[in-house]
Amino acid sequence: MAGRVLLRAALTLLIALWTAFAAGPLTWVAMISLRSTSEFLAAPYALPESWRFDKYATAWTASGYDTYFANSLIVVGTSVTIVTIVGAMAAHCLARYRFPGNRAVYFLIFSTIVLPPQITIIALFQTLAAIGLYDSRTGLVLVYAAVQLPLTVYILESFFARIPADLFDAARIDGYSEWAAFWKVAFPVAMPAIATVVILNTILLWNEFLYAVVLIADDARRTLPLGIQKFMGDQLEDYGMIATGLMIAIIPVVLVYAFFSEKLIQGMTAGAVK
Amino acid sequence: MSAPPRPAGERPAWGAIVPFLLPAAVFYLGLTAYPVVRTLWNSFHEVLPAGDSFVGTAHYAALWSDETFGRAVRNTLTWAIAAPLLEVSIALLLALALYAKVAGARFLRLAWFTPVLMSYVVVGILWAWIYNYDWGALNVLLRALGLEEWTQPWLGTTYTALPALILVTTWMWTGFNMVVLLAALHSLPSEVLEAAELDRCGWGARLVHVIIPLVRPTILNLLVLSFVGKMKIFDLVWIATKGGPLWSTETVSTYTYKRAFEWSTFDLGYPSAIATVWFVIVMAGVGGLTLALRQRQRLEY
Repeated sequence: MAGRVLLRAALTLLIALWTAFAAGPLTWVAMISLRSTSEFLAAPYALPESWRFDKYATAWTASGYDTYFANSLIVVGTSVTIVTIVGAMAAHCLARYRFPGNRAVYFLIFSTIVLPPQITIIALFQTLAAIGLYDSRTGLVLVYAAVQLPLTVYILESFFARIPADLFDAARIDGYSEWAAFWKVAFPVAMPAIATVVILNTILLWNEFLYAVVLIADDARRTLPLGIQKFMGDQLEDYGMIATGLMIAIIPVVLVYAFFSEKLIQGMTAGAVK
Repeated sequence: MSAPPRPAGERPAWGAIVPFLLPAAVFYLGLTAYPVVRTLWNSFHEVLPAGDSFVGTAHYAALWSDETFGRAVRNTLTWAIAAPLLEVSIALLLALALYAKVAGARFLRLAWFTPVLMSYVVVGILWAWIYNYDWGALNVLLRALGLEEWTQPWLGTTYTALPALILVTTWMWTGFNMVVLLAALHSLPSEVLEAAELDRCGWGARLVHVIIPLVRPTILNLLVLSFVGKMKIFDLVWIATKGGPLWSTETVSTYTYKRAFEWSTFDLGYPSAIATVWFVIVMAGVGGLTLALRQRQRLEY
């Protein structure tokens, strides 16, 4: 009995410590984002004396975060739209039609998930430069769509494969073309999986840094992670404002998580559970 | 892998297959397959803005005696071996804690998952501050505990910088692993655990003989996943230390980036050779791990 109580106490302590460890850093940066740098340096772990929400307005207008935010929205929105449609078409095709090489195509796409990015990034830089898409949002959008394609096909294919064939037979009898059957039958039925990949790809690309830093140069085309890095380089000591910038990148992610936490967890852990 | 495709008629419906697959094929061939091939080609050439010239295996030979590259390989491998073990073992402990029906488990699960949603850029800056010598949380905590002599400029000392960054990825990814393991635990047949309880197995015995063997496939998947992630690591290092101090946190990714885009050598051939070698090592590592783990599973049944 005493052993039970001790075990309970140990468990509770472990849980409390890990919660502080996991949530502490984010709470801290949220506090700093509402304080001035001098307030922060005077007492790094104090709560905000007055909540300086105007710092967000300053970062937004005076430090270029409006541009970075808009670029992130445009680039992520466009590439997620493209990769969802292209990926869903391929996944549907691989799940529904039997043809020689079907599994080979699937395996080829799937295995690129583990590719280290260096193996493509130098050549992508050369290629985009050669066709005039280096340092352009269009180039970054295309690369992002290609990078997320394997994961998208992987998640969607397993979902499409579970749609009963009868549904498509019925659609054919009703006179649907293969194309119409995809858009009007498969796509709506797969909506839960589509939502998962859309949310997942949005978060992953919103946070993406390596491809962006290689393929974008001009300040006017920087996405949020690049903007934050630049701001930190320029204002190394202005911790208060850097924290505000970090929060501008974090808040959209937290909002998505607040509304779609289960979907997001499903997406991120897809494939890890066997 | 999923179920085999169902037939949609006797002969392949190429009229439908080709249009459905074409856009993905264009993206795949143009922006994945072609760049891989071009990188291989690059690695046998000196690739300068003025033009390319064939150099055979000279880059590979130079790589062999490149001490910075060796350092980067050792750092990355250390990371790719230590981090999965840390993440998965702590995650298993936490998952078991939540599995024991703690109040608020649902909320804790959501809270612990959050670090993985942050960009490495955000995480890198945040943790560089936590490791700050004067006011970073770690040193503040040590001083509060009266351990003044343990304080360090954690990211500025050659022998603490890499462990400090490994701790950051552990902070980031443990919650993710915990969520996956918790799902695996919940999917276990409850009779098995009840039977173990009836047999009066202690907690330790139940853990080692019942729970771990049952969730082993999940544990192995998570180890491989984490290994692959750490073999690619770039952003965190780039933001927090740029590979320093004195190459103590240089990874293969950061070194490739430096040789391709930072150093004024302008040659893209040498970094392409680094990328090629690393590509082969990662693929061999993943293939080897998967094969070895599958072999062991088969032996047990």
